[in-house]
Amino acid sequence: MDIFLQQLANGLTIGSMYALVALGYTMVYGVMRLINFAHGDMVAASAFVGLTIYTQVMGESASLGAVVLIFLLSAGSMAVVGIILERVAYRPLREAPRLSAVVSALGASLVIQNGIMLIWGPRMRIFPELVPQVYWDLGGVVISLIQVIILLLSLVLMITLYLFVEKTRMGAAIRASSIDQDAARLMGINVNSVIALIFIIGSSLGAIGGLFIGLYYRGITFNMGWQYGLYAFIAAIIGGIGNIPGAMLGGMLLGLFNAFIAGYVSSTWSDAFTFILLILILIVRPTGILGERVAEKV
Amino acid sequence: MKDIQKYAYPIFFAVMAVLPHLLDDRWQAVAITFLIFTVVALSQDIILGKSGMFNMGQALFFGMGAYTTAILNSQFGWPIIATIPVAILIPALCGVLLAGPIVHLRGDYLLVTTIGFNIVFVQVLQNNLGGVTGGPNGIFGLDSLSFFGTDLMSQISVYYFAFIVLLLTLWVMHNLAGSKAGRAMHYLREDQLAAESIGINTRVYKIFAFGLGAGIAGLAGTVFATQYSAVSPEAFEFIQSVLFFSIVLVGGSSVPGILLGVFVMFVLPEIFREFATWRYFVFGFAMIAAMILRPRGIWPATFGKIPKFLIKENNHGA
Repeated sequence: MDIFLQQLANGLTIGSMYALVALGYTMVYGVMRLINFAHGDMVAASAFVGLTIYTQVMGESASLGAVVLIFLLSAGSMAVVGIILERVAYRPLREAPRLSAVVSALGASLVIQNGIMLIWGPRMRIFPELVPQVYWDLGGVVISLIQVIILLLSLVLMITLYLFVEKTRMGAAIRASSIDQDAARLMGINVNSVIALIFIIGSSLGAIGGLFIGLYYRGITFNMGWQYGLYAFIAAIIGGIGNIPGAMLGGMLLGLFNAFIAGYVSSTWSDAFTFILLILILIVRPTGILGERVAEKV
Repeated sequence: MKDIQKYAYPIFFAVMAVLPHLLDDRWQAVAITFLIFTVVALSQDIILGKSGMFNMGQALFFGMGAYTTAILNSQFGWPIIATIPVAILIPALCGVLLAGPIVHLRGDYLLVTTIGFNIVFVQVLQNNLGGVTGGPNGIFGLDSLSFFGTDLMSQISVYYFAFIVLLLTLWVMHNLAGSKAGRAMHYLREDQLAAESIGINTRVYKIFAFGLGAGIAGLAGTVFATQYSAVSPEAFEFIQSVLFFSIVLVGGSSVPGILLGVFVMFVLPEIFREFATWRYFVFGFAMIAAMILRPRGIWPATFGKIPKFLIKENNHGA
């Protein structure tokens, strides 16, 4: 029972990080029908940017104000990178064959990943201890302050995003554009600014996910983006890609699944089990758990 | 296109045939790598370029061929030549078995599933499943190539082995382009619904493409294992599949385009070794620029004898 509760706590923490990153994938996919391969690398870049802001700008201070500022600045800089990425690599290819955009996304991913390597070096860096190491022992189950913060902050962000998308006019524009871009344009929606907005929201949520990854795992490497990005993307697919609550659900499910596999089976086979889960879900429900059953457009 | 077949190909083949005698050891090795990776890229082209299926796991089949050869040679003492049929059959069979349950998936889902197969494969190799893959270090110390008792130790003989495999692959692809299966795959890529409605069994041809592509990649794997007389998991990681995927699409799914792509990805870095750390950074920009300037690839393939004015501008593989 102890293992169960402990892995439940770990799973929810990992799951909320996956969910935050998955939101970026699912929102971009929803509107542009494009796997933004560079998203995972932006998550990694955010952790490195946060590290540099901590050492260079904040003078290694971990006061509450400094930590909040690190989060805001990292999210802001990734939002800028996201907009540049969309302008340079994706906008010129919106009318091009699907696969051209995929190759462009892969190219952008290589550029960001190796840009991180050229700036911060190929070796693993240690992310600063921004949150004090406080642990609570609840009858054999150890929960850290970091886990509580990650879970709560992720939930707040996700609920805010959900309300924004469901209740505001801009949110309605996002939903309309993801159903049919051309029809949305005819209804007077500026699809270009919707796409820019999506990259801003997705990239800054991913950036916060990247800082969480740094806080939780401590070691950050230039190529970690593919690992976490792929898992987050799988989470988005499990939930039904293009579907915002689906990404949250998928992230949580995948986090719990990974934690229980690590707790009860073995962590050396986690990739294999994750992909077997994905393939099984895709065989049973080809468009994910919350995805709509649609035929491919011809 | 006619002119190329008439003049450029014979010149290319003649140059490639005498090339190893003009190079020193290091460049011979680079030339062999070029030949092997061209074969893998061509096998990827059968699945991705010719049939339009988003496969991002070609390194899996490549690695499976290499490991089949390595295991049969090191564990069971088979000569390298004798492992070739098995190294083609096992990846081909795996291609068919893996593709079976997933080919109906929509493009991007197929892409992620094939990435998954690739990652699981590497994890299986690293965890040394069944105790035959040698774990993270792989298998080393394979026999050299021998043919009816004559030991072909030199690099030049490995080069000609690779060259023969490339010629064989080009011959298969040339025949495929004019065959019933090749036409079916082309229609499949252009428009699956239309292909189905004129009576093409799309499922069968999709699985066929996977099997054929996997088999050829497996053969390339045998050559790879022979060249290094060793195999290890990192040579078949998912990043390799990404490179093959990109080479086919940046090249435009045509033979000259793919040759150019493999040259840029694997030979240029050898020439500019001092910029090795910048390699992928520059490639990333090159991939974006190539796609923006030529969305259909640098050297787009043509199919059959359809006059230009009849070709509809549509989204391939959409």
